[in-house]
Amino acid sequence: MKIAVCVKQVPDSETRINLAAPAAELDQSGFTRVLNPYDAYAVEEAIKIKEAGAEIEVTAITIGPDTVKETLKKDCLAVGCDKAVIINDPALDGADESALATVLTAALGRDSYDLILFGIKAIDDDSGQIGIMVAEKMGLPHVSTITHLEMAEGSLTAHREIEGGKEVVTASLPAVLTCQKGLNEPRLPSLPNIMKAGMKPMETLTCADLGIEVPASLVEIKLYSPPPSRAECKLVEAEEPAAAAKELARLLHEEAKVI
Amino acid sequence: MADYKGVDFYRFSRNLSDEERSVRDTVRQFVENRFMPQVRQHFKAGTFPTELIGELGSLGLLGSSIKGPGCPGLSGTMYGIICEELERGDSGLRSFASVQGSLVMWPIANYGTEEQKERWLPDLAAGKKVGCFGLTEANHGSDPGGMETRAARDGDDWIINGSKLWITNANLADVAMVWARTEKGVSGFLVERGMEGFSTNPIHGKYSLRASDTGELVFDDVRVPDSNRLPDAIGLKAPLNCLNQARYGIAWGVVGAAADCYDTALRYAGEREQFGKPIASFQLVQQKLVHMLTEITKAQGLCLQMGRLKDDGINPTPIVSLAKRNNVAMALDCARTARDILGAAGITDEFSPGRHMVNLESVITYEGTHDVHTLIVGADITGIPAFR
Ligand SMILES: Cc1cc2nc3c(=O)[nH]c(=O)nc-3n(C[C@H](O)[C@H](O)[C@H](O)COP(=O)(O)OP(=O)(O)OC[C@H]3O[C@@H](n4cnc5c(N)ncnc54)[C@H](O)[C@@H]3O)c2cc1C
Repeated sequence: MKIAVCVKQVPDSETRINLAAPAAELDQSGFTRVLNPYDAYAVEEAIKIKEAGAEIEVTAITIGPDTVKETLKKDCLAVGCDKAVIINDPALDGADESALATVLTAALGRDSYDLILFGIKAIDDDSGQIGIMVAEKMGLPHVSTITHLEMAEGSLTAHREIEGGKEVVTASLPAVLTCQKGLNEPRLPSLPNIMKAGMKPMETLTCADLGIEVPASLVEIKLYSPPPSRAECKLVEAEEPAAAAKELARLLHEEAKVI
Repeated sequence: MADYKGVDFYRFSRNLSDEERSVRDTVRQFVENRFMPQVRQHFKAGTFPTELIGELGSLGLLGSSIKGPGCPGLSGTMYGIICEELERGDSGLRSFASVQGSLVMWPIANYGTEEQKERWLPDLAAGKKVGCFGLTEANHGSDPGGMETRAARDGDDWIINGSKLWITNANLADVAMVWARTEKGVSGFLVERGMEGFSTNPIHGKYSLRASDTGELVFDDVRVPDSNRLPDAIGLKAPLNCLNQARYGIAWGVVGAAADCYDTALRYAGEREQFGKPIASFQLVQQKLVHMLTEITKAQGLCLQMGRLKDDGINPTPIVSLAKRNNVAMALDCARTARDILGAAGITDEFSPGRHMVNLESVITYEGTHDVHTLIVGADITGIPAFR
């Protein structure tokens, strides 16, 4: 059995973005980069399946610059993935979800994976589209936002979160899953395994190596702008609560014009 | 409070390899997730979190740089990085790893027989067995050469009599690395729990290093087979060489404690308002923060250079002594300053600087006091020993 986990390196969740005025690009020089936390659930799930079975190979796949290697080694290979594939193509800078999904589809098509795992979304752009797009492009069944997974011969049963409850879904393999918090508790790599991770195969490819043209993006990011500064807060002061309520109602009616 | 992110004003992490950064981040996450939630409780109760010993082992944090069966075999720099992250949590956590690795596994790996290595190293590295190191005695601290504990030959065995005091992990240990005087000078023995006449007692009433086990080892005609003696440990130099390994880790470790104090004080100063503005906006408070950051940064430089030297096989006592001496005093100073910046809040266990501060009072004393390290470096540069 072969499992692929598609992962992304993202800025640490406590990264401060320095953006005083609207700009076409973000200054990313001070960013600390880590594995997207939702992808850690996908990696852990793949490793758990691998440990429970026999002859299961797990491949981590990412699109990104050379700096992704550190994250791939520590958070994928050192915890148990067998190999890693990096698609590093400067022409993909600024590519949108649809273009990236096309590239991943080509990368996944080089092998026959029985299971393809993603995190539900990346915490940097929060778009949550790529896993499902890849499933559609590959014509595979997909289950999103899973919080529990059971594997069987040629099929799987997954629990997915829905508003106020859970849905139990079965699917045939091969299938695509996107993983949600609660699915498992990602392990830490042992330090000796961090050292050995560097010896596992890590392949770097371009779009040309995948045999595809650089796909066109449908969406282009024009501008990043800082959030508007918050309007000043007006405190209604009065001796009596009733008087304060009356004043509040007047302000809402006359100034804010919402009632 | 937000997660600890370390202090790296001079971008030392650029001089680390991918693997070294990954080691740092992994240990940092372990400390944050597994140790920090319970440190206050253990400090209060005066106990070590024994349930973490197995995890320390499986992550590769015990005897990390030792070469031997079942040992992780990481570099000296990585061992230092591990100590720094552990001590950021608590000096007691780092002490556990220091003793197990540098003071028990290291002598077995360097002075022991193949049999002793096979028997002890894999279990000690995995955290399945715990060790302690008995050198200090009630009447002999800075001058261990005066030790009174004796081992006398009796056929194929040795009979040990005496006692050791202030021993980290004493009551948790399955095996004690004990230094005793024989007719031919100081020798090292592996004394096992359960051997007749060997007992351990806890030390009560500590106000420092409370999240660590400290105790006494008592030997009352303990019969130890010669196969438990480390054949290559000859003379007082042997335990002193062990201490050199551990002090190396301490010099790194305390930088973690200092960084945690600085980090806590910096955040607090940014939030705490007096006279209508954050206390961080007062020049006197800024001066304290800048002083801490400067001293931490200098100490980091010492550590990294010392680590690179060690990995090149250069680890002389005076170099380690200078770093232990400087860095522990620096960390204690940072802890006191951070405690001061926190005002009254600094004296409760809600914040870490007070805990680091009292812990570091032990660290500045053990493994050679501050002044003893002054004398070691002094003897080295002048050629004149001033110990007596
Ligand atoms: C929490 C804790 C854990 C410990 N764990 C261990 C352990 O696991 N194993 C172990 O073997 N030991 C351990 N120790 C003991 C530690 O190493 C000793 O406390 C240390 O060596 C100092 O010895 P002492 O306490 O007897 O102080 P002393 O040697 O009596 O020193 C008292 C003071 O006199 C000064 N002094 C001594 N000699 C000189 C001199 N020649 N010139 C100038 N000043 C001098 C010292 O600097 C110090 O200020 C531990 C201690 C503590 C507090």
